[in-house]
Amino acid sequence: MELSEYGLDIAAKFGEDVKTELINGNEIHIFADADNIIELCHFIHSNLGCRLLSVICNDERQISGMFVFRYVFGKESGEDVFFVATSSIDGKDICFPTLTRYIPSASLYEREIKDMFGLIPKGSSDQRPLLLHSWPEGNYPLRKDFDIKTKVQKSKDEYQFLKVAGDGVCEIPVGPVHAGIIEPGHFRFSTLGESIINLETRLFYTHKGVEKLAEQMPMEDVVLLSERIAGDESVANSTALCQAIEKIAKAKIPTKAAQTRTICAEMERIYNHLGTLAGLSTDAGFAFGAARLNILKEMMMNLNEKTSGSRLLFGVNRIGGVKIDLTDANKKMIISETESLGNEFYKVFEFLRKKSSFIDRLKNTGTITKEDAAGFGIVGVAARSVGIDVDTRKDHPYANYPSLHLDKHHDTPYHKMKYEVELQKRNGDALSRFVLRAEEIQNSIMLIHQTLRDLENEQPIWCDVGPLEPHLHALGYSESHRGQTMHWVMIGKNNSIYRYKIRTASFCNWKIIEQAVLNDIVADFPLVNKSLDLSYSGNDL
Amino acid sequence: MTLDLISVAIGIIQTLVLVVLAPLLTGIMRKTKARTQKRIGSSILQPYYDMIKLMKKDEVVSESSSWIFRASPWINFVSVVAAACFVPVMIFYSPFGLAGDLLVVIGLFGLGRFFTLLAGLDVASSFGGLGSSREMMVSALIEPALFITVFALSLTLGGTNLSTMVESATHSTVLAPSIIFAAISLFIIILAETGRLPFDNPATHLELTMMHEATILEYSGKGLALVEWSQSIKQIVLFGLFVNLFVPFGISTAESFAILGIGLMFFVAKTAFLSIFIAFIETKVAKWRLFRVPDLISMAVASSIIGVIFFYLK
Repeated sequence: MELSEYGLDIAAKFGEDVKTELINGNEIHIFADADNIIELCHFIHSNLGCRLLSVICNDERQISGMFVFRYVFGKESGEDVFFVATSSIDGKDICFPTLTRYIPSASLYEREIKDMFGLIPKGSSDQRPLLLHSWPEGNYPLRKDFDIKTKVQKSKDEYQFLKVAGDGVCEIPVGPVHAGIIEPGHFRFSTLGESIINLETRLFYTHKGVEKLAEQMPMEDVVLLSERIAGDESVANSTALCQAIEKIAKAKIPTKAAQTRTICAEMERIYNHLGTLAGLSTDAGFAFGAARLNILKEMMMNLNEKTSGSRLLFGVNRIGGVKIDLTDANKKMIISETESLGNEFYKVFEFLRKKSSFIDRLKNTGTITKEDAAGFGIVGVAARSVGIDVDTRKDHPYANYPSLHLDKHHDTPYHKMKYEVELQKRNGDALSRFVLRAEEIQNSIMLIHQTLRDLENEQPIWCDVGPLEPHLHALGYSESHRGQTMHWVMIGKNNSIYRYKIRTASFCNWKIIEQAVLNDIVADFPLVNKSLDLSYSGNDL
Repeated sequence: MTLDLISVAIGIIQTLVLVVLAPLLTGIMRKTKARTQKRIGSSILQPYYDMIKLMKKDEVVSESSSWIFRASPWINFVSVVAAACFVPVMIFYSPFGLAGDLLVVIGLFGLGRFFTLLAGLDVASSFGGLGSSREMMVSALIEPALFITVFALSLTLGGTNLSTMVESATHSTVLAPSIIFAAISLFIIILAETGRLPFDNPATHLELTMMHEATILEYSGKGLALVEWSQSIKQIVLFGLFVNLFVPFGISTAESFAILGIGLMFFVAKTAFLSIFIAFIETKVAKWRLFRVPDLISMAVASSIIGVIFFYLK
């Protein structure tokens, strides 16, 4: 990896003002002061072709007297490298420069920082509260001087929705309490007859305070906490956390542990994609397809239980490895069951594909444009459905993925070309997401088989991770079924966690729904929503 | 057909049969759908249990609603029961048929629907308004299909009086092509009128996609029980009309207990078969896009027009 090259690029542009440092193997940290951090981020974003993955604010007033901002960028194709542009403002300041001028997707992170740290993104046009609803001013939960036991008096909720005026424009408020067993979220539609002319979402009704909670917990418990960020992404989130801590400890986990993580991550992907496809079928009013797919999902969840003891794959990861030891019997069971599931799924999928009334509902519904997708920085299946080829498993391989043959797309120049053409053809509608998910299920089964074939049997499943030095930090990442999960951990004193920043795929993807529904009618909204497969819990940290 | 005591009794029994059996059909349809989806499903008597449960419950009524909201379930119920009076069930005539024909049945349904839609708007919930506007769209489009179908039927069967129509259907030995096309059209109309797939998904919990369900979303307790009961009576009346007009086979022609009993059994069997058939169709199809629904309705219109043309070609 020729990291110096990037260093030279940056030095050529910014001179001696910025220092660069390579840590944890693939993170290039670039230190700039508050004056040129925005230009630096813009440079990384546009000249180096990187995507903004997360903005991490950290209250380091006890360490250096500063609030530190880390803008994490990732290179999406080719090299496995992250750029972390770092700047800090004095602990007494309350303003920091906004990045939204160049990178619109930074807006959400800046609003988050405003809520949690009380720091104001100067010049940003949207400064409404995001995470905390009817929260009194002067209470900033992620500052270190905010006690977790503080009881705050709720203030009056004054949230400004965008008003759409005009003849015949009708507002439909939906939520935050919905029919069915789902979590809270408010959707405000402005409609003209059936057509949606504007949608505004308001989420974060069940803010759990996960990031603050993690700072009070022993490290082993934080793994359990991370599994519960979103119950259906347990493996993805805990893998991201464990990998961050292992990176800090410079621990090399046993191959078998990495393989087990990969297998469980793919099993998680399969059962969740099956659930989403079933949900899509339900929302299209096609209960028969949903029933068939739900049976398959149930099969998969039973397999999860037999493998890990938990239907939702809780308790798989631990720091330094995994907790479950896959035996030969497990191996045989997983292979045979996933194989029969794959065959059965193929039949159901072909059946659905030929069901014209069902396909007609999905086609050209919830279309996302490539510009919007890039602007909002969306990830996962939603991004791939518009032809943006992002996949953490490929871009930044982790666990056992480096030694796997992920897909055929990059085998030969011919395959590459074919894949490029296919990417161009994808138009980002619900149908393309439906097909992609189905392909991913089949691909995941293939990956599980590949990994199981090479499974190291006579190996320990975890290694000891000794006490960690305070104030070291690292990124941890994984690809959940929703897309990229990006965690950042800084170690505190006595092997505690000083700061745990979580960014799930849902946080990136929720806003795109406001664009995706614009060409649709109200009756198709549930389909669009389901096809994007967004998590409330994974968003309301 | 004089209005003597026996025929009055028969008329009352026929109406009661429809009113009492109505929820059973809903139960049969739900059970069929459950079985086709590899579920066991609840008992076919579940709609009765639900209604009994709802009858015992209190009602919650929106503060912003008016008398329309409270009156509409009753108006709806009375209008569908009145419509049920005119429909022959086990015998080929309905003694109350003197007072109303097929057009009155349609009109009564229209009255019930009108008040349901008003009630949907009355509670000032955005879903109610949405549901009402969609239901209005479908019913406005279905109207021409319905009237041309009635036209085709009454031309072929000699009048709009249901007793006459069923009687001549019983006696006719050859199946007229106009009847076949009218049957196709009426079948589509029944799917639309009873809120079945691909028009409306009666099983959905998604308010944003609802049509009929959205208009009754605010009802609870006794009001809801009445609304659901009316809906299933409307369904059985339409099914009954369909089977007795197009497959009158087995309907009794004499006023004796044994034959009436057989007629009743045939009626139940035929409507149950029709509802199982419709449940199968619902299994086979996804809900159509809202703006594609007119395509299906135009098919009904076309089919009924062909029916009329065939009558004159004869």
